[in-house]
Amino acid sequence: MLQDNADQSHRHEAESISRQTVLYDRHIALTDKSHIVSFAGYLLPLWYSSIAAEHTAVREAAGIFDCTHMGVLEISGAGAAHFIDQLTTNSITSLKVNHAQYSFILDTSGGVLDDVIVYRKSLDEFIAVVNAANNDKIKNWINALLNNEVSLDPEHNARKVRGRPKVRDLRLADCKDDCRVDIALQGPKSLQVLLALVKDKEAQSQIAQLRSFQFMETDIEGTKCLVSRTGYTGAKIGFELFVHPEKASQLWEAILQAGKPLGLLPCGLGSRDSLRIEAGLPLYGHELAGKFNISPFEAGYGWAVKLEKQFFIGKAAMERISTEYNMEVARIELPGTKGIRPARQNDAVLDEHGWSIGWVLSCAVISERQIALVYVDRDRLGQSDAVGLYYLARSHSQIQQGRKDGVEKMELLEPDLTGKVLSRFAKF
Amino acid sequence: MVVEGLLYTKSHEWVRVEADIATIGVTDYAQQMLGEIVFVELPAIGKEFAQQDELAIVESTKAASDVYSPVAGKVIEVNSELESKPDLINQDCYNAGWICRLKITDTNSVENLMDSRQYQEYVGGL
Repeated sequence: MLQDNADQSHRHEAESISRQTVLYDRHIALTDKSHIVSFAGYLLPLWYSSIAAEHTAVREAAGIFDCTHMGVLEISGAGAAHFIDQLTTNSITSLKVNHAQYSFILDTSGGVLDDVIVYRKSLDEFIAVVNAANNDKIKNWINALLNNEVSLDPEHNARKVRGRPKVRDLRLADCKDDCRVDIALQGPKSLQVLLALVKDKEAQSQIAQLRSFQFMETDIEGTKCLVSRTGYTGAKIGFELFVHPEKASQLWEAILQAGKPLGLLPCGLGSRDSLRIEAGLPLYGHELAGKFNISPFEAGYGWAVKLEKQFFIGKAAMERISTEYNMEVARIELPGTKGIRPARQNDAVLDEHGWSIGWVLSCAVISERQIALVYVDRDRLGQSDAVGLYYLARSHSQIQQGRKDGVEKMELLEPDLTGKVLSRFAKF
Repeated sequence: MVVEGLLYTKSHEWVRVEADIATIGVTDYAQQMLGEIVFVELPAIGKEFAQQDELAIVESTKAASDVYSPVAGKVIEVNSELESKPDLINQDCYNAGWICRLKITDTNSVENLMDSRQYQEYVGGL
């Protein structure tokens, strides 16, 4: 038991090398230490109450998430906009001040280095929020580009970085008062919770009027805070709050107190994953990049790759992939009542005749059903089509009984479960 | 929670030995680590296992985990209620959540298990 467990196998060695987030003491106060695992180098709770309860809280009331492990990079100064337009696939010229956009950072051959949200604070002042696991990689990439240590475009070596912006990691102490970390407040009652913490009537009305991917700076609980209508749960109403790390615990507690009567729960990594899977949102390494080297087009985010831009790093590869890609990410539903073995990464996805057409990337059990994000032949499945699932062997004894431990495409298999195709994304 | 009178493994299985019959389950520590258990694959009745063989599989919403046989023996009974109610392991891992019963074929295999006090200490150090 527990020896062969993907989520916890690194737990003990990791505890010594993983960092505590600034909210670690809050987590220890709220949940048993055994629920805390290492994720992207940080110790975070898998759950506080239960994955299912926390998932439901975000769908029906609200939840807060410790996202202080997420990278927060500031890129500012002369030429910042030019530089970010080269660095990322989406269009900076169409990004207004106080707006944010989803985008990709690619390497020169088009490989996805990270998916990011870029916030424009002023004409030449930006914040890029990057995945914790990719934080150092992206910082190094940006610095190498700015120092002309790597070529922007191997086919046109003359192409140079435009602009000399300053880059700061806003989670590092040397940023002093400018330090910022991310706490997410998500779900239909998140606005009500947030407004309870804002004294100023004018600010309240501005927050209430924020639309998706808009943000503003205001005082919350007496501390300066960037309030953004963004998130990773598929909730129609949800915020990310960027505050000084020394104020993070105070804000966390204030949100818990204000939210408790409304049904708000603190939420761990487990529900964070089940919520984003249910919404169809990609996780770097699973639905983007990873072992299949999944491109933004395959992931369903071709719209965030602006091929009409004159240049961005990786553009030549994106032009090719945009016309050639033959696999795509789809969202499917499978039965998930208790006693049904859950689908796992790499299990085979079958068409209605039993032919394997791809693999499971991520899966979550959500109120008696399973939602899986799968990687399948492009345009092979339409919404509501029947799909099958074949479990890979989970143990040696299953292999001995004839169950495969790996499936290629175009194998004819008996489905263990049957389900149907859902829309690529869902909002709640 | 650790129950007195049972024997334990480092991989968090418990055993209740009565004469030559071993009743086996997973510990409270294990079920807490796994979270909501949604599926249990039970062993076939009549099948023989050496100590530490893969005996069963317990799957939660987060992970699949092998249950290793704490003793050498032959399966004489399984808790088939777990097929429709796998979360009995979450609710009552030491009683209603038992997994299977083995007829012990090698009594020496019982010798190297921990008692409740040793297991308590072991878990405390994790």
